[in-house]
Amino acid sequence: MQVTIKTPHIEVERLEVNFGSVPAVRGVSFSVVHGEQLTLLGPSGCGKTTTLRAIAGLERPRAGEIRIDGKPVYSADKGIDIPAEKRGLSMVFQSYAIWPHMTVFENVAYGLRVRRADTAEVKDKVEHALNLVQMSRFADRRASALSGGQQQRVALARAFVFQPSVLLFDEPLSNLDAKLRADMRIELRELQHRLGITSVYVTHDLEEALAMSDRIVVMRDGMVEQTGTPDEIYGLPCSAFVADFVGASNLIRGRHRRDLAADGLIALETPSGQVIFGTAYGRPVGDELIMSVRTVHLQISPLRPIGERNAWPARVEKTVFQGDFTTVHILWGDQSLIARCAAFDPLPAGQEVFITVDPKRVVLLGA
Amino acid sequence: MSVAGASAGRVSPQAIAGYGVAAVAAVLVLYPVFYLLQAAFDVGDPQIRPPTSYGVDNFEALFNYPQIMLNTLVVSVAATVMALVIGFVMAWILARTNVPGRRAFEQLMVVPYYLTPLLGALAWSMLGSPESGFINQVWRALGATGSLMDINTPYGIAWVMALFEGSVAFVMIAAVMKSMDPSLEEASQVIGASRLRTMLRITLPLVVPGVLGAAVFVFAEMLGSFAVALVLGTPNRYYVITTAIYQLIQQYPPRVQVAAAMGVSLFAVMFLMLFVYRRIITAGSYATITGKAFRPRVADVGRLRYVLFGLCMLYLTVAVFLPIATLLYASVQKIAVAFPAADNFTLNNFTAAMSMNAVRSALTNSLILGFATATIGVVLMGLLAWLIYRSKLPGSGLIEYVVMFPQAVPRLVFAFGMMWAWLVFPILIYGTMWLLLIAYLTVFLPLGVRTIAGVMLQIDKSLEECAQMCGASWAYRTRTVSVPLLVPGLLAAWLLLFIASVRELGASILLMGPHSKVITPSIVESWFGTASELTATLALIQTMVVAAAMIVMMMVTRRLGALPVD
Amino acid sequence: MAHKVHGHFTRRALLKASAALPLVGIAMPNVLAQPMSKSPTKVLDFETNADVAKAEQEGQLVFYCHENEAGTAGIMQGFNKDFPKIKTSYVRAQTGALYSKILAERQAGRFDVDVIQLSDLAPAFDFQKKGGYEHYVSPESGAYKKDNLSSPNGYFFWTGVDPAGIAYNSDKVAAADAPKGWHDILNPRWKGKISCKISASGLQFVQWYMLRKLYGAGFWKEFAKQQPHAFDSRVQLYDRLAKADDTITAIGEYPAYILFKSRGAKVEFVAPPDGLVATPLAVGAVNKAPHPEAAKLFVDWAMSKRGQAWYQTNPNLYYASVRTDAPPMPTGVSLSQFKLLYPSDWDEYSKESPAFLKEWNGMLGL
Repeated sequence: MQVTIKTPHIEVERLEVNFGSVPAVRGVSFSVVHGEQLTLLGPSGCGKTTTLRAIAGLERPRAGEIRIDGKPVYSADKGIDIPAEKRGLSMVFQSYAIWPHMTVFENVAYGLRVRRADTAEVKDKVEHALNLVQMSRFADRRASALSGGQQQRVALARAFVFQPSVLLFDEPLSNLDAKLRADMRIELRELQHRLGITSVYVTHDLEEALAMSDRIVVMRDGMVEQTGTPDEIYGLPCSAFVADFVGASNLIRGRHRRDLAADGLIALETPSGQVIFGTAYGRPVGDELIMSVRTVHLQISPLRPIGERNAWPARVEKTVFQGDFTTVHILWGDQSLIARCAAFDPLPAGQEVFITVDPKRVVLLGA
Repeated sequence: MSVAGASAGRVSPQAIAGYGVAAVAAVLVLYPVFYLLQAAFDVGDPQIRPPTSYGVDNFEALFNYPQIMLNTLVVSVAATVMALVIGFVMAWILARTNVPGRRAFEQLMVVPYYLTPLLGALAWSMLGSPESGFINQVWRALGATGSLMDINTPYGIAWVMALFEGSVAFVMIAAVMKSMDPSLEEASQVIGASRLRTMLRITLPLVVPGVLGAAVFVFAEMLGSFAVALVLGTPNRYYVITTAIYQLIQQYPPRVQVAAAMGVSLFAVMFLMLFVYRRIITAGSYATITGKAFRPRVADVGRLRYVLFGLCMLYLTVAVFLPIATLLYASVQKIAVAFPAADNFTLNNFTAAMSMNAVRSALTNSLILGFATATIGVVLMGLLAWLIYRSKLPGSGLIEYVVMFPQAVPRLVFAFGMMWAWLVFPILIYGTMWLLLIAYLTVFLPLGVRTIAGVMLQIDKSLEECAQMCGASWAYRTRTVSVPLLVPGLLAAWLLLFIASVRELGASILLMGPHSKVITPSIVESWFGTASELTATLALIQTMVVAAAMIVMMMVTRRLGALPVD
Repeated sequence: MAHKVHGHFTRRALLKASAALPLVGIAMPNVLAQPMSKSPTKVLDFETNADVAKAEQEGQLVFYCHENEAGTAGIMQGFNKDFPKIKTSYVRAQTGALYSKILAERQAGRFDVDVIQLSDLAPAFDFQKKGGYEHYVSPESGAYKKDNLSSPNGYFFWTGVDPAGIAYNSDKVAAADAPKGWHDILNPRWKGKISCKISASGLQFVQWYMLRKLYGAGFWKEFAKQQPHAFDSRVQLYDRLAKADDTITAIGEYPAYILFKSRGAKVEFVAPPDGLVATPLAVGAVNKAPHPEAAKLFVDWAMSKRGQAWYQTNPNLYYASVRTDAPPMPTGVSLSQFKLLYPSDWDEYSKESPAFLKEWNGMLGL
């Protein structure tokens, strides 16, 4: 078995970037190892695109440091700011940025021509790249005559044809329709694996991030909320924001009942007196607790379940049929919970039911 | 195209190009203004330069001419109102109804402005003079007495100004209408409001702020208007500030200081107006310049559209066809009357015009200057547009003010400052074509920069950034990406500058020298010094040159959308 | 520059024996007083002290003139026809404006003008005093009365006289109602329909001065009530008259009357019994000219018979010549047939300039 040592390829340290006079990025730090795809995820305005552009060299930060392969390309302290064209990175833009006055071939060949490649090499590499994105037969087409999806592929080919070591993606799929987006997602991921390029990817689409990334950085208001693998982000959100942003979840607040602790689980008592057992996962435990329960982890059954730690009676408020799943609004004590169930037999409003949830799925949130 | 990449201590080539061109612009604009201000505050002996003493006496002297201030106000307000009405109606018809031939009309709407307002004034003078005007002659032939109209009145002047300089209003209001989201109106109609009610309660309030901005801008333009008041007002001793300044300078002895004070006052007011205009435009939450361009809902007006078509044709007739026809009619007569006898026709005027050395050299000079201004201008203004709107060099905002400054100063006043500024310049520029070239480049800065910037901003920043990410240096990506994309826009700007310089009057009339006569002021000189038939001929010749350039421009810009108007 | 004055005089006397003899006594003191670099040469049919070859080498003549465009171009055309190697260029502006322009330029160190023609003697005197004219005595001076030359000779000369009376549109005015004398321009029936010239016009200054002298200061105050329209050139005045935009003009120049009448305009001229106002038209070479020989050549040409004939017969000019041997004007009328009104004391006249400007500009609203 080969152990590949993953060394950091890109390091971002305490980065601060202003947009005009507004601070858009307020102290962001993360690193990307060779060959991994790191996604910056967050709502619009959280600073993810600005961070990406700062790495690219298209925005000038105020403070912090950016290193590529250990060498600083930007450092406020050392007064270094290498221009974008000299950083050796590559980028795919949200608007594709296809040059309308050139053919598809010329678009893709641009980066090679800049690097003074000879005609044979250019022809070779461009054809290879176009092949990879299945756009070979459009090589001589005027670039402005392509559809959105086609332009996206050309943009991609153009970005990797000169074999950069890093690819930056700025919401590349957000202008495509849902079906195409889903297909392109898979293609992009496969391409990235095949070429082994380190990628930094920006998106606001949760599904995209979870499907494509090795690791995710969740951002809000210019700062990092949580960094981790998709599983970690999803299963172990550290804050209410992450819990609710990365998939829907219910937040349950209450008092810590140390006296009821058992089997490594901690007990929370809601204001209306219900007790729910959850897992701390190493987070600090105080007197007041917030726990997160994903909507998909709440189970509903008409009969009282046997042998469950977390089981309570509740009442159905309403159900919303949504095709593959059904959203059920439940009244639990004096709190409304939302459950998402697949293949659900509809229940009338007002029906008395029982809800259960595995304590391992009840996650204690950090401070 | 950020310059976020210059390592500390090393000045990028962008910075050098940028600041270099900014310095040129600053000198062009500020050097004459200094002299203008100096003259305005000079209370010593006017013959002695540099001034011996300074004071505000000249400004106090302005209070001796309340009539002129009043005249200027009356004419400008009347012209603005008329221009807004015409502009609004035309914009509505062309943007919101399904009148046939919309696209053609839109292009044609700016023709009156490019045909010199001077030409319009000359033609309407021939049409509307109480005694000799053709319209009045026809009126009397129909049996009436007296005259139907007297064009040499304030309202006559305002009418001609509105017709020919009012295209600005149309362009701006049309732009406002195009940037209005049609779904706002649809929402009103869905609820059940009638079309009229929708227009009054929804459309009008949305459009009003933009129209207000246009009103302020147009008013500023009218304040600085010269040609029309010169031709139509001067004979009746009806002066506005610009023509008064001209008269004061031409008098013997020239009352330069008072003229300068008038000029400074005028430009202070215009500056204020433009400041207000910018406030209105940038304050609103109705994005007129940025943001998506909507396709406004075009209403089907049924039979009414033929009436509207007639209305559009009426405007074009009154503003384009009638004046040109009038000039043509006058130019082929010995003494121009509405009902000439058969022996009154002659081609002598044309032969005389073309044989006059003065005319030939004036035309040649105008063409040469046009080429030079356009070519140098495109490069200079292109760089300035890049500097202001694309580079992130510090101080670019300030440069924008400097570049837009000439907008606030009437051409005549600016030329006045230039006259003094370049008279004392050690290198011989005064009295030569170089002076005119410098003058044109200066006064056209706002026009050129705005046009090129408009095109530049249409090009998504990401196209250039992408080239950067592919490793291209500034020079390489400017050459391979920016310039090719800009070419159609640069071409349009070139033609625009060419036309503007051929038809320029206010600055040229003061700065011409014996070896540097140009055509449009020559037409004015002809008006004041020769028979009106000959003047009509000269005006026609100049029109043909401008028309040729315009046709070329229309063909080029058909893809780019509406023509800009300054 | 040493030269044989005596010899020069002898040669000159020989050349001009018949015509010049009566003038010798007058001309001589001037001739003696001024140094001459060489003897006059004959070119075409006149004499010049300029170096013609050098003038043609200079190849250019820059002419500042008060005439309207067509008139100025006409003068240049005449000179250029005779001397095709000398390219002409001109600037025209009404006398007042023209004079200010040249002064401003000279003040700033610009000396671009070769010859200047003014329609008023007041600025001519002023320019002479300021040393603006080149001192050049033309061999053609002999053909002019002393009164029609600068004093001393050699600065400027009267290239012609521009007489003006009253003119009216004969369609609009019945013969019975036609004006007969200067006082008729004050008739209220012409209010708002009468024209005159702007204050920069030399002729207008003369008219103001002379009629004021004749009829008193109240005359022009009455005239102001007529609310006249003022214009730069006589062509404009007659153009409007012909088209009935104005019914009558208070300062109708005779040359323009001839021109427009020949075109078929319905205009009539009135010579008031008290006399026609007239201004001399002064031509002189300018000091520090860029093309000095061409300038001198032009002065000689203008003074010469052929030059004067050109001035007299060109339709845009029709000047009345004061050359002693000049033929009558194209209409057959000779200058001596008119009673001319112009200042006898030019100094006093010049001093009145500020008063004129103030009153006239005030009347016109500026």
